[in-house]
Amino acid sequence: MRSWFKKLGGNRLGFGSLLKVSMVSLAAALALFIGYQPASGQGPSVKAPVNTYKAPRTKDGKPNLNGIWQAMNTANWDLEAHAAGQSMDPKDGAMFAIPPGLSVVVGGSIPYLPAALEKKKQNFANRLKLDPENKCYMGGIPRAHYMGHPFQIIQGGKDMMFVYQYAGAVRTINMGKPIEAPADSWMGQSNGHWEGETLVIDVTSQVEDSWFDRAGDFHSDKLHVVERYTPRSADTLWYEARIEDPKTFSQPWTIRMPLYRHVEENAQILEFKCVEFAEELLYGHLRKPAGAPSVPAQTKGGPGAAKGKGK
Amino acid sequence: MRTKFALIIAAVGLAASAIPAVAHHAFAAEFDASRPLKLTGTVTKWELVNPHSWIHLDVKNADGSVTAWMIEGGSPNSLLRLGFTKNSLPEGSQITVDGYQAKDGANRAVGKALTFTKDGKSLFMGGSAPGADGGGQEK
Amino acid sequence: MNKQVLHSFLNLGVALAVAAAPAFAQSKYKAPRTPDGVPDIEGVYSNSSNVPLERANNLGAKEFYTPAELTAQAKAAAVPREKAATQVGTVADIHYDVSQFGLGKTVTDAMVNTRTSLIVGPTGKVPPMIAAATKRQQAARALTAGHEMDGPENRGIAERCFYWGGEGPPMMPQGYNSNLQIAQGPGYVAIQQEMIHDVRIIPTDNRAHLDPSIRQWFGNSVGHWEGETLVVDTTNFNDQPALGRGASRDLHVVERFTRTGPETVLYQFTVSDPQTWETSWSGEYPMGKIKGQVYEYACQEGNYGMANILSGARADEKKAAQK
Repeated sequence: MRSWFKKLGGNRLGFGSLLKVSMVSLAAALALFIGYQPASGQGPSVKAPVNTYKAPRTKDGKPNLNGIWQAMNTANWDLEAHAAGQSMDPKDGAMFAIPPGLSVVVGGSIPYLPAALEKKKQNFANRLKLDPENKCYMGGIPRAHYMGHPFQIIQGGKDMMFVYQYAGAVRTINMGKPIEAPADSWMGQSNGHWEGETLVIDVTSQVEDSWFDRAGDFHSDKLHVVERYTPRSADTLWYEARIEDPKTFSQPWTIRMPLYRHVEENAQILEFKCVEFAEELLYGHLRKPAGAPSVPAQTKGGPGAAKGKGK
Repeated sequence: MRTKFALIIAAVGLAASAIPAVAHHAFAAEFDASRPLKLTGTVTKWELVNPHSWIHLDVKNADGSVTAWMIEGGSPNSLLRLGFTKNSLPEGSQITVDGYQAKDGANRAVGKALTFTKDGKSLFMGGSAPGADGGGQEK
Repeated sequence: MNKQVLHSFLNLGVALAVAAAPAFAQSKYKAPRTPDGVPDIEGVYSNSSNVPLERANNLGAKEFYTPAELTAQAKAAAVPREKAATQVGTVADIHYDVSQFGLGKTVTDAMVNTRTSLIVGPTGKVPPMIAAATKRQQAARALTAGHEMDGPENRGIAERCFYWGGEGPPMMPQGYNSNLQIAQGPGYVAIQQEMIHDVRIIPTDNRAHLDPSIRQWFGNSVGHWEGETLVVDTTNFNDQPALGRGASRDLHVVERFTRTGPETVLYQFTVSDPQTWETSWSGEYPMGKIKGQVYEYACQEGNYGMANILSGARADEKKAAQK
């Protein structure tokens, strides 16, 4: 009967070996936590909050961040200060014109390395085609928080779950022993801990393909983000993300913005599965030309039937 | 010990009809049965992405020029759960791919068999697990 | 607790006693509480299963395997099978090695389940579709028949990375990566399924469903606690619920999550849709906690396949035109 208890697969690497590796690099990550001092009062934009607010507690005594939150700014158009602008296609009129906004970057501007600044400019020029948001790709961190959609924090006694309306993105905040991700992902690996009133999340292992905004602001595979969520009133949080990427920026920089609670009755995250809205952009050029005969489906019972389950 | 006991395999319904759907799309729509190929080259990138992982491979041609190929593989999540990481197939690895080329003639292929060139061993150990589904069927 | 559930517990009790496994069968298990005082169902689970949704015809009304039958099957499955040889140059030969990527089902964890089908009851089958539903399904298929390769809209839902199929509700075991994570906050339960990172956030105040004008791929779920059990009610589906099988926008799903032990949850569901079936139908299966985390399955972000398929079809068309 022993066979009942064995995975039939057998012969597999255990998670134990993975954990040993991760502990080493975790020491480095923790050192960063300790050495990290929040930037304060640098430059004209987004003054550092003097925060004396003490948030209501969860039943287990932590600041209670549960809720549906959303940024109220134009950071997704451009993290840096920007005047109003023409819509990307002038035929779209005023409805899709770019709203003006102040910089959310502490100190005002992003400290690009020269070559990276050139790439940012190229990104901007080709943003309709290149911006991952336009392709319905998950936003990544920090962008997922200011894309014009709400997100919900589910905070129980253990790990937390952040659920984003845009593209149905989600991430789990590991509140236990920090974990090193085995591979990169769009929402990265999040390891969190509390520092007094503040939830601090260390985010690593994000793919290099996400952007920070529609202005082409980008990063490399060396991105390391440290987020800080600090309650500032019953219905607002300070959100701060320190961005470090030596391949792209000459020094770490920080964005800071308030997040607002959805207080309306029955507020909820709805579905925004945007793939279908991006298909024309991504595949329109691969459609069958008008008048050409259709080729038959390749496999019987395959995923051809649009209304069936395409497995 | 508790977690060891928590999950125990139930090999119920392993009849041929119960072979699970394990691919995201019909391979034959993407790759050409009349273009089988064998490539040997150097790994330049391993994209551990879904729904399929892709291995980028530089293949040296007879005239000394180099062609970049992309090789389609399975969803990487199971490999991650088995203990593989993004460092498990480092850049510079010499591998041999047995597969089929894309229908549109691009330098993309599905990797039917992936082996290390030097010893012919499988890239991933998933295949060595006794009892693993060996059928390799997508339906 | 209805009779059928009790029945399954008893049968599992027999099977697991034989297997000397922990007390999965304790129907009176009282789950630890969350800080907010409700049963704690948090965790990372596998809902992988080899039990088919519908019972094989030859099993008739046999709802459960005996422990001896299960043991024999496990033994048979443990013997490495010969690789099914496929001919080079044939369509069947075009595939990556499923087992090499650890995707074969026998390398994933699954809970012992003595059921012969996930569907409970004497028939073990989805009830027959009503005539109008069959007609509706045929009409939908006819829309794209012969034009499957024309553009992305005519491809399958999973291939387009909308959903994988098993996300439900009701949630069904997926072909692979059949894992999910449950998180709980005050007044909410969130279920994140690994496949296509699909999440449902379920408020547990039993509030009213969304306005009927809002239709969603996974519907709109609201829940409440009944003692040890989370009960989730889902409506507001769009015209293509992930359940498939011809289900319509009038699909109504009730799910029940009950901790049955330190590492296990019993998942039960009842499906009704008067536009599709004359009667409702129900199923159940156990889920078990697994180690590690749910890994991101970013589908759209890496979907090179769609472009390759469409460009392949265009290449085929060109070839056909040259003939």
